[in-house]
Amino acid sequence: MQKLLVTVLIGVWTAAQLPAQSLQLRITGLDGLASKAKATVDITLDSSMLQAAGGFLGGNGKDQDAAKLKELLAGLKAITVRSYEFKEDGQYRREDLDPIRAQLRAPGWSKIVSVSEEKELTEIYMRTDQGKAAGFAIIAAEPKELTVVAIEGTINLNDLSKLGGLGIPSIPIPNQDKGNDKDRNKKGKQE
Amino acid sequence: MNLDDELRAAMRREDPPLGFTQRVVARAQTKPVKKPAMFRMIWAAGLAAMLVIGFTAVSEYRQVKAERAASQAVVALRITAAKLNMTRDKVLKLEN
Repeated sequence: MQKLLVTVLIGVWTAAQLPAQSLQLRITGLDGLASKAKATVDITLDSSMLQAAGGFLGGNGKDQDAAKLKELLAGLKAITVRSYEFKEDGQYRREDLDPIRAQLRAPGWSKIVSVSEEKELTEIYMRTDQGKAAGFAIIAAEPKELTVVAIEGTINLNDLSKLGGLGIPSIPIPNQDKGNDKDRNKKGKQE
Repeated sequence: MNLDDELRAAMRREDPPLGFTQRVVARAQTKPVKKPAMFRMIWAAGLAAMLVIGFTAVSEYRQVKAERAASQAVVALRITAAKLNMTRDKVLKLEN
């Protein structure tokens, strides 16, 4: 009886974890690119590491930028960044992004910006959970650079733009208060 | 002499030496020798030092981990901000 109860509890817990796991973006299929790249950024921070980072940044409470950054990090559950910089063009294929883009077609994710040019592709996706923004993803494919960012949690892009003191470029967001994000979608040439 | 005789000779009953019983009783009545206080102090100091070193190492490890995580978080947000900025520029360029 006790074994049955434990089994049922484990089953319920596993089932409860499944929706969250299935929506979390996994950056796969890019591992082979690191050997071709002249510079690679591979960052994976989970909630505990983000918490530790926030604690470190906001430790003295004197640095305002650090305090703002701490606030930003407080809303995040995970950050994953893969960025590859190549010496020459053609070191990766658009198909390399297919496993990631396939995940982003799942329910819950919606493409909010897509700009496709001859040799460049930029896409921004947002994940919503019960009507609230729960994360976003960026795919930026340039001839000599490929970057994929996945952020779980809530982040205020306006706050992010204010963090200039830490070397983060300012991002003025036009028409920020007008309409929702989808109204501002702009799409370049279709693939 | 055969084996039986050898065994018998080896296993024969012998009386204890003179004064054996008194010596055993006297030894049993003596108090156990206490370890010197210095030994206990060294042991306690060693234990305390180990605890301090352990806590310091854990604290140091957490600090280094937090510092590294903070540095990575800044880089991650910088890249994110740069790509958002780039996308914004492209959208504005298309609008114009």
